[in-house]
Amino acid sequence: MITLVHFQIVSAALFSIGLYGVMARRSAILILMSIELMLNAVNINLVAVASFLDPDRFAGIIIAIFVITVAAAEIGLALAIVLRMFRNRATINVDHMDLMKW
Amino acid sequence: MGLMELAWIIPASSFFAFVGIITFGRRIPFVSPMLSIGAIAIGCILVFVVLVGRIKVDPTGIDVFSRKWFEVGGTELMLGMIVDPLSIVMVALVCFVALMVQVYSLSYMKHDPKLAWYYAIHALFATSMLVVVLADNFLLFYVAWELVGLCSYLLIGFWWEKREPVEAAKKAFITTRIADVALLVGILLLFREVGSFSMKETFYQAQLLAAGEVSALSSGTTTVSALLLFIGAMGKSAQIPFHVWLPDAMAGPTPVSALIHAATMVVAGVYLVARTFVVFEAVPDVLLVVSIVGLVTSLLASTMALVNTDLKRILAYSTISHLGLMMLSLGAFGYTAAIFHLVAHGFSKALLFLGAGSVSHASNQTDIRKMGGLIKVMPITAITFGIGALSLGGIPIFAGFWSKDEILISVFNHRNFLFLIGTLFVGFLSALYMARAFYLAFLGDLKNENKAVSESPMLMTGPLIFLAIPSLLFGFSVFGSAEGYGGIGRFIFFENAENFHFNLALGSISVILAVAAFGISKPMYITKTLNFDKIKRYFNGLINVCERGYYFDQVYEWCITRIVLVSSGFIAWLDRAVINDIGVNGPASSVAWTASKLRLHVTGKVYNYALVMVLGSMIIGSVWWIMVSG
Repeated sequence: MITLVHFQIVSAALFSIGLYGVMARRSAILILMSIELMLNAVNINLVAVASFLDPDRFAGIIIAIFVITVAAAEIGLALAIVLRMFRNRATINVDHMDLMKW
Repeated sequence: MGLMELAWIIPASSFFAFVGIITFGRRIPFVSPMLSIGAIAIGCILVFVVLVGRIKVDPTGIDVFSRKWFEVGGTELMLGMIVDPLSIVMVALVCFVALMVQVYSLSYMKHDPKLAWYYAIHALFATSMLVVVLADNFLLFYVAWELVGLCSYLLIGFWWEKREPVEAAKKAFITTRIADVALLVGILLLFREVGSFSMKETFYQAQLLAAGEVSALSSGTTTVSALLLFIGAMGKSAQIPFHVWLPDAMAGPTPVSALIHAATMVVAGVYLVARTFVVFEAVPDVLLVVSIVGLVTSLLASTMALVNTDLKRILAYSTISHLGLMMLSLGAFGYTAAIFHLVAHGFSKALLFLGAGSVSHASNQTDIRKMGGLIKVMPITAITFGIGALSLGGIPIFAGFWSKDEILISVFNHRNFLFLIGTLFVGFLSALYMARAFYLAFLGDLKNENKAVSESPMLMTGPLIFLAIPSLLFGFSVFGSAEGYGGIGRFIFFENAENFHFNLALGSISVILAVAAFGISKPMYITKTLNFDKIKRYFNGLINVCERGYYFDQVYEWCITRIVLVSSGFIAWLDRAVINDIGVNGPASSVAWTASKLRLHVTGKVYNYALVMVLGSMIIGSVWWIMVSG
C-alpha cells in the first residue's frame, strides 16, 4: 500500500537533491537543473496531498500546473541570461557573477 | 498745499542728479559736476521758498506732510517730511555747505579720473543728509542715516588704491555701525510702545509722559531708548568713546572732510538729539548723561588738538571738541544754543577745512611745522582761514563767539559749577589751538621750500570767501530786527521762545580767555619769547598721552585682538567642532560608517544568497512549525 508518506518521502528526497545541487554546483546550467528538480519535488507533493486529502477538488493539481508553467517561463528567462553571460564573459561559472556587490 | 510742500524737491533733485550721473557720467565727464552742483543749487534756492512758506503760515510751527509708503500687518508706514524751523535751518546749512564744497571740488579734484563717481557720491550724500533732516518718521530717518554712513564710507575711501583711506573708511563705517545698532534698538523700543514710527506721534506720547499724564510710553522704556538714541548720535557725532574714526577720516579728499565735518555726517548726531529732544526732556537724567559725555569729549578732544601737528588732524579734533560742546549744550537744555552753534561751527569748519585743502593743494603738505609765513604767498586763503579760526576761537563779533556765549549761559543756568569751568576751559583751549594752527601755518617766516607756492585758483578761493561771510556775520542773527524777526531764539526754540541773553560776567570771562589765548600764542609759537619748555618738561608724560590720543586706538586694538578676535575664534571653533562636526555631520557620518560595515554582507556570490535564502526559509519554517504545534 502506498500511502501519502511515501510520496512525501520521494518528494523530500528529490527536493534535498535539488537543494544540494543549487548550493554545491558552480555551473549556472546545473543550478537551473537543480531548481527544476526542486520545483518538481514540490509538484509531487502538491499532487499527492491534493489527491489523498481532497480528491473531489483539483486545487492542488491546478497549482501544480501553474508551477510547471512558471518553471517553463523561468527556465526560458534564466537560459537567456546564462547565454548572454556566456557571450560576454566566456564562462557560466557563477563564482564569476559577482559584479553586484559593494 | 503750500510753498512748504515744495521741500521734497530739495532732496529729490540731488537724488535725480545722482541717478543722472550714474547713468551718463562715465560717457560725458563734464555732466556730473554740472548735475550735482545744479541740483544742490536748486536746493539752496528752494530753501528760501520753503522758509517763506513757513513764515507765511506760522514762523515757528511744525508741519508734517506725509503719504502712505507701504503697509505691514496693521502698521502703515508713511513717507513724509517735517517742515519746522529746525529742519529748515539744517537744510539751509547742508545745501549751502554742500554747494560750496562741490564748487570747490571742481578745482580741487580737477585731474581725478574718478570725478564722475566723486560727484555721484556727493549728490547721494546730500540727498541722504537732507532726508535725515526732513524725515518725519524714524524708519525713513534710519534708512537715510545709514545712507549717510555709507556715503561717508565711500568718500573717505575715495582713493581706494591707497591703503590708508581704505582702512580709515572701514574704521569710520564699522565704528558708526556699532553705534547704529543701538540707535535701531532704541527706535524699535519706541515703536513697540507707541505703535508707530511717526515722530509726531512719538513726541506727543513723550510730552504726555513728561506732563505726568497717561501715555503709551513708560518712563523705563523712554529712558532706555533715549540712551540708545544718544549712543547712535554719539557714533555719528564722534563723541568719546566713538570718536576714533573722525581723525582718521582725514585720509579722504579734503573737501569731503569739510563736508563731513561741517554739514553732513557728524552733525547728524547732534540733529538727532535735537530732533528727538522731546523724548530726552521726558527723562532728564539722560540729559545729564548727554552733557557729561559732551563735556568729557570736548575736553579730551581739545587737548588732543592742542598737541597735534597735522593741520587737518587739528581741525578734526577741534570738530570733535565742538560737537562735544553742542551735546553739552543740548544736555543743559540749551536747545537753541546748540543749533546755533551747530550752524556757526558748520560755516567756520567748512571754511577752515577748505582753507586747509587750499594750503595742502598748493604746498603738498599738511604738517604745520613745515609751513609758516604762507600769508605772503596765499593771502586770500590766509585771511579767510584766519576768519574761521577767530570764529571758532570765539573772538567777539565772529559767529562762534555768540554761539559759545549762548552755550555758556545754558550751562550756567542748568548745570553746576564744574561744567561751567570745563566749558570755559574748552573755549580757552579751542582759541589756543586755532591760534596755534593759524600762527604756525600762516605767520612767521616763509620757508624756502614754500617760496614757489602760489594762491589757489578762483574756484577754490571763491567758496572760501562765500563761507567767510557767514562765519563773520552769522552771529548777528541773534539780534532781532524791526520787521518781525526776533532773533534766532525766536525762530528755533524748544517750547519757549528765547531772547538773546548776555551775561556780562560770563561774556567777559570768555572773551578775556579767548583773547588771551590768541595773545599768548604769538610769543609762544612764533617769536618764541614766551617759553614754557621748563614747565612742559614736568608734563611730558601728559603731553605724550595727548599726542597719542589718550591711547584710545591702542586700547581698541588691544580689545579687538585680545578679546574680540579670541572670543570669535573660540566661537568659530565651537561652530566648526560642535555645531558642524558633531551636530550636522555627526548623524550623517555615523550613518555612513554603519553602512560601510553593513554593506560587507553584499558579496555578489550567488551561493551566498542562496544559502541565506535557504537558512531563512528554514528558520521561518521552524518558527511556524513550533507555533502551530506548540
